[in-house]
Amino acid sequence: MNDCRLEAKGVTKHYDGGSIQALRGVDMAVHAGEFVAIMGPSGSGKSTLLHLFGGLDHPTSGEVLFCGRNMAKSFDLDAYRSQRVGFVFQAFYLLPTLRALENVQVPMFETTLSLRERQDKAAELLREVGLEHRFQQYPNQLSAGERQRTAIARSLANDPEILLADEPTGNLDSENSVKIMEMLEEIQARRNMLLVVITHESAIAERAERTIYMRDGRITPA
Amino acid sequence: MSFFHIALTNLLRRRLRTALTLGGVALGIAAFVALVGFSRSFEEGWLKIYESSGTDLAVVQKTFLNTSVDEGVGEKLRSIPAVADAEPMAVNLMDLTPEVNALVYGWPENSFEMDTLTLLEGRRFHDDQPEVMLGEGLAESLAKKAGQSMDIQGSIFQVVGVFKGGSALEYGAAIMPLRQLQKLADLGGKVTAFHVRLRKAPGGKIDESQIQQARAAIEAALPGLKAVPGVQRAHNNQLVTMARSMAWGTSLIALFIGALGIANTMAMSVFERTKEIGVLRALGWKRSRVMRLILMEAAVLGLVGGCLGVAAGWLGLRILAGIPATASFVTSSIPVAHCLEAVGIAVGVGLLAGFLPAHRGARLSPVEALRYE
Repeated sequence: MNDCRLEAKGVTKHYDGGSIQALRGVDMAVHAGEFVAIMGPSGSGKSTLLHLFGGLDHPTSGEVLFCGRNMAKSFDLDAYRSQRVGFVFQAFYLLPTLRALENVQVPMFETTLSLRERQDKAAELLREVGLEHRFQQYPNQLSAGERQRTAIARSLANDPEILLADEPTGNLDSENSVKIMEMLEEIQARRNMLLVVITHESAIAERAERTIYMRDGRITPA
Repeated sequence: MSFFHIALTNLLRRRLRTALTLGGVALGIAAFVALVGFSRSFEEGWLKIYESSGTDLAVVQKTFLNTSVDEGVGEKLRSIPAVADAEPMAVNLMDLTPEVNALVYGWPENSFEMDTLTLLEGRRFHDDQPEVMLGEGLAESLAKKAGQSMDIQGSIFQVVGVFKGGSALEYGAAIMPLRQLQKLADLGGKVTAFHVRLRKAPGGKIDESQIQQARAAIEAALPGLKAVPGVQRAHNNQLVTMARSMAWGTSLIALFIGALGIANTMAMSVFERTKEIGVLRALGWKRSRVMRLILMEAAVLGLVGGCLGVAAGWLGLRILAGIPATASFVTSSIPVAHCLEAVGIAVGVGLLAGFLPAHRGARLSPVEALRYE
């Protein structure tokens, strides 16, 4: 087990030359193995913060740290995203031309796994999310819940330490939402992952160990 | 799942667009295969004529591709010590019937070039007689045999022999006495060139220095004329130069249109897949991998288009080889090297056309790409 944590120190993020201030000095930390929910209205900066934690973007000022090291300076962000982070999106973002088994293999191209190893690992992950009978289906042949489970399997492809989920239940009915959240919690606990979930739903936030509230680019009290 | 599989499924996503793009590339490559292949076989035909006849030098006008040399220089040429033999020759492209045209050569009856021909039937022609010998291909196209007569430009000629030559060009050609061709083509004492055989050294071979010395001697003795080695003449006579220019010009235009098709397809594909590219980047794909994926798609378009183009070009040549008007100049066989070159060009064009879209795709910011609607 490691003691790495994700940390934002005085982080701001501006767009369009400063006319849009998505983040206005955010300080927060998420510890290894912790499950944190971030809640807030649209435009509050939740997704921007998640993108910075995921190494998808750089802050305008301040620092995003992982394991105590400045991510922008000390990490190859492509490798960081490939090896250490798994993303789960609201809209699933599966590649429509690939079958479920193939979609799960996509992140593995940045590893040294052989074709056979990639295939075996993808099959194992799909079994882990209960889709052992849906390997050969294309995304449009899967239900919304099955698509999100495929996306979760994909996010685990390279055994990351961090799982970042942006409204993972936003496109699901209540029954599937519960199932997906149970799955994420179970995976987080079993793999001792750092899990950050962005959500509008307080029922989902309540499942987290800790909830952070955001408004107008700042962390606010509940 | 291989990396190639992802590229292939992306191309198959828009089947009609991919098919149209392949059609554009195939058209360009077919033009290249057929036209450049034709011009090269034409060139090789000339080379074989010079090689098989043992012509070391061709004496032609210095500044004109379509040369016209005074027949009277023959005596001066033969008086040069390095020259063993010098024979005048004329060549012209003629309509023998409304459907059939052919290269018609005019040689003296005893030209050393006659020795390279194998008579399949009949005999050689006699000087000054309205007689003609036909290459086996031309005889077949015209359905003529030795002993029959034919009308050439309003004059009746006796077909006295059918021959097999060393070159594809002779296969579909006619040869008649030089005087007859001069009369028909209104050349009046002019010939296209003199073909020269040099005196062999004691070892029986002619080396490069001998050729250079003989050229210098000929050009010094005959101002206004130049002596060109047979190989060079084969590559640079007027007919070959024109055929080559037209073939490359047309092919390049067609290839350019094919390249535009690939560039357009790849640009559209990258545009449509902006969000997907953002997802790939979010999943850790490096810029170089995104670029490789798009370039691979472009290269596959080039490869498949190239193979289709080679097949279409070969089919085109086969059709041309079956039409009497063009059968004399066209052979339907394409050297493997030419096919590989065509496919190589197609893949190269694909990569070149795909580079900018690939670069654009690879440069996309993952966040902006994910936000793209």
